[in-house]
Amino acid sequence: MGDSLSISIPSKPEYVSVVRLTTSAIASRMGFNVEEIEDIKVAVAEACTNAIIHSNCKQDDNFNIHFGMDEKKIVIQVQDQGNGFYCEAVEEPDLTSPKEGGLGIFIIKSLMDEVVLESDIGKGTTIKMTKYLGDDI
Amino acid sequence: MSLKMNTQYLAEKNMWYVEVVGEIDIYTANRLKETLINLLNEQNTDIRINCEELDYIDSTGLGVLIGALKRLKQDNKNIIIANPKPNISKLLNITGLNKIFIIEG
Repeated sequence: MGDSLSISIPSKPEYVSVVRLTTSAIASRMGFNVEEIEDIKVAVAEACTNAIIHSNCKQDDNFNIHFGMDEKKIVIQVQDQGNGFYCEAVEEPDLTSPKEGGLGIFIIKSLMDEVVLESDIGKGTTIKMTKYLGDDI
Repeated sequence: MSLKMNTQYLAEKNMWYVEVVGEIDIYTANRLKETLINLLNEQNTDIRINCEELDYIDSTGLGVLIGALKRLKQDNKNIIIANPKPNISKLLNITGLNKIFIIEG
């Protein structure tokens, strides 16, 4: 069994940088290299940004970030209690007509080894992402 | 961390020079958006964004740049992203945005 750590942050843009610093510190402590730390940091920040933008949380609501760690991997879950969205509706970016939004989930999937999106309309969204230590799988 | 911006119009090149320093994320992206809209309202022409001291950009920041580029493309103008750091180049590559912006350096 590994260690775990949870933080609860306000659904406000100014707190995403706090999560970035926390994530970097955890990934660094686990022994990820500089590029992997950056990947994990970016992915977690995108998940938080997604929670703040798409969850329609009232600003006084908090959402949760859970870090699970063992000697092989880090598993991070970003969980909000917002409106949820239809995961099937998440599209890959179309470069012939680029849009201002919709890049976040695509970036997370590109940077992490495993990503699971669970969204219940009316109940909220959880983005679970895993990065393995050592050689790419 | 925060975002600092310096803007300058170079008449001989008919180009905006924008220097971004720090981090562009969900918290600071609106300020970038307002700055770019103000520039384009004044003069709808090419923008060269110097990213030499830009440490971080997220999807909301990239979204602001896409929005500005859409407006510029109507007049056949461009956004040039100059000297991005490796982490930012990586993001531009995986999103394919390196093919719609002009990347220098």
